[in-house]
Amino acid sequence: MFLRMITASLLRRRSRMLVALLSIGIGATILSGLVTIYYDVPRQMGAQFRNYGANMILLPSGGEKLTTGEAQEALGAIPADQLVGATPYRYVTAQMTRSQLSFMAAGTDFTQVQATSPYFMVEGAYPSGSREVLLGEEVAQTIGAKLGSVVEISYKPDAASADAATPITPGAALAGSAEGFNTNLVYVTLTLDDEMKIASLTVNADTQTPEYGGRAAEETYTRQFIGKSLPVRLGEDVDALSGATITSDAVVQAVNSARPTANAAAASGNTLSLRVVGILDTGGKEESYIFLSMSDMAALTGAEDELDVMELSVSASGAELEGYVSEIAEKHSGITPRLVKRVTRSEGAVLSKLQALVFLVTAVVLLLTMICVSTTMMAVVTERRKEIGLRKALGASDSSIRAEFLGEGLMLGGLGGALGAALGFVFAQVVSVHVFESSITFQPLLLPVTILVSMIVAAVSCLLPIKHAVAIDPALVLKGE
Amino acid sequence: MSLLELKNISKIYGELKALDNVSLHVDQGEWVAIMGPSGSGKSTMMNIIGCMDKPTKGEVLLDGVDIAKESSKKLTDIRRDKIGLIFQQFHMVNYLTAVENVMVAQYYHSMPDEAEALEALGRVGLRERARHLPSQLSGGEQQRVCVARALINHPELILADEPTGNLDEANENIVLDLFRQLHREGTTLIVVTHDPEVAEAAQRTIVLEHGRVAREIVNENFQA
Ligand SMILES: Nc1ncnc2c1ncn2[C@@H]1O[C@H](COP(=O)(O)OP(=O)(O)O)[C@@H](O)[C@H]1O
Ligand SMILES: [Mg+2]
Repeated sequence: MFLRMITASLLRRRSRMLVALLSIGIGATILSGLVTIYYDVPRQMGAQFRNYGANMILLPSGGEKLTTGEAQEALGAIPADQLVGATPYRYVTAQMTRSQLSFMAAGTDFTQVQATSPYFMVEGAYPSGSREVLLGEEVAQTIGAKLGSVVEISYKPDAASADAATPITPGAALAGSAEGFNTNLVYVTLTLDDEMKIASLTVNADTQTPEYGGRAAEETYTRQFIGKSLPVRLGEDVDALSGATITSDAVVQAVNSARPTANAAAASGNTLSLRVVGILDTGGKEESYIFLSMSDMAALTGAEDELDVMELSVSASGAELEGYVSEIAEKHSGITPRLVKRVTRSEGAVLSKLQALVFLVTAVVLLLTMICVSTTMMAVVTERRKEIGLRKALGASDSSIRAEFLGEGLMLGGLGGALGAALGFVFAQVVSVHVFESSITFQPLLLPVTILVSMIVAAVSCLLPIKHAVAIDPALVLKGE
Repeated sequence: MSLLELKNISKIYGELKALDNVSLHVDQGEWVAIMGPSGSGKSTMMNIIGCMDKPTKGEVLLDGVDIAKESSKKLTDIRRDKIGLIFQQFHMVNYLTAVENVMVAQYYHSMPDEAEALEALGRVGLRERARHLPSQLSGGEQQRVCVARALINHPELILADEPTGNLDEANENIVLDLFRQLHREGTTLIVVTHDPEVAEAAQRTIVLEHGRVAREIVNENFQA
């Protein structure tokens, strides 16, 4: 009878209930649609990143130097149609002449960067001519540079030894390097505070194995150095990265052997004036680098053609990719090829922003749904005052009135939720096809979850209307109106 | 044996005494009519007897229980178990069929039983119209559904507030016949009416004026 009453109430009083059903349905549609997109987008974005990001790196073997020519030769092992991009990187520590601050300068090939790091977001443009520079966002902020500004940077070969004589003083800016895994160099720049404690530290561990030693560049690792005095002791002042003790050791050595750079510009060395054409936002450590073309890098350092690492994006996977690695390793003893995972930090950054957005929109939509359903149910209670009075006169207790309205609300929520789950999938599909150009998979779990959430929303929306319904006086039915 | 006893009850709304020191005694199985001009307090009295309102002063004994002192939850229980209500406006749940309207009363009382509900509709001559919605029934038919609903749980006391006020002659007679049957079965009836014919069908008529019992007329010609 209970079910018969509430279904009759829903079925035979269509128009009102349709409004409530529709609002729950729309709320549920958006909820399930967004959640579907939310769960599916990482998969799609991951796929896109993995399609284009770097998945192999070439490093110089221990004690060797890697030239562009050698690297290009090694690339011969990979069929041209599978090679999406090959980006050379040369890292040096350079100083801003005016502020005398040290930064990591990377020489690279910008057309290739776009192929191996498609997720880089550049405000302005990538440098295309000579004497142009791409500043990491953090660098741009620190030195107050904008698009179109001209920055002057200088580099002194072998800064560490040249400045050996300069005493380390409070407030000094230092730079250093040390051999890490496979004798590849790890670079650091740091500043000291007035009490000779480390105030800031940037690590460039791009030559190390990304999943292991590469993590030494992350702020989560470098922040433990802040506030420590030199020399820093590994295992006491700072912890080693698990699985990357060699890199950890190299970072500590580089920090402890770092020398002042403040007067580097004054000493002999090359100086370049560069125009800022782009500012780089990656959500990662690249924001603290400056990027210049290989030819500008050669002009700055005076050393032609020397690479620290070459990043490759190869559209192959599994055994095929491993085949290329062993082939290169075999034929080129001076090169150590290595596979890297294509998961990038910027992916995580984008996703966490997306997540926050989805939560916010969902919360707002659910709130609006609640208000709408609550208003409708309130109107329903007013409309049905007589009927509620009659039910009470016939002996309905407060709890049965409550149960009836809650039942109607839950039924509405369930129906609206089912409707919304179906429409939401369609909605997500449409969005996905138009925005991401790929279709999505159905999440079976989403159906019960959407229905449940809709029922909860509907039930909560009914609380106030129910309170009003219960307060209705049965005597009103006897009053002739 | 006494079923209902009003002892000096008053119902006061601000300055207005809707009921002013009224006493009334109704025996088990008795059929009492209540008459009086509009505003004389008839509905107020029915609300109090029907456990939907409480008097400002006085005692109301129903089956020996003083309902003026009970909680509203307890009053709901008493109303459900002992009283059947019939109103001037027919008051049906407009989205439920005739038989479902009868079943609502069963549902709140105990267990809905469709067969029994259909039988009750048969008794008021509406067996054929059981599946109709109120909007598909005439006023007289709706009132007969309400009578079926009032008697479905076999209440000790049926309270009817101007049950024939909106009915034509034919339906009025059907309803009065139903009251006669109920009376023969031993149900106590209290019927508020403006219609002298309806009042004459009862054993006794109480006349209210300005919230007081003005007269009491015993029907010498009463026929069971
Ligand atoms: N809730 C109320 N508040 C104030 N006055 C009321 C209320 N209910 C009834 N009254 C007044 O009490 C008097 C008796 O009303 P009622 O019992 O409905 O008369 P009737 O005999 O016509 O059924 C009327 O004057 C009416 O206006
Ligand atoms: Mg009245």
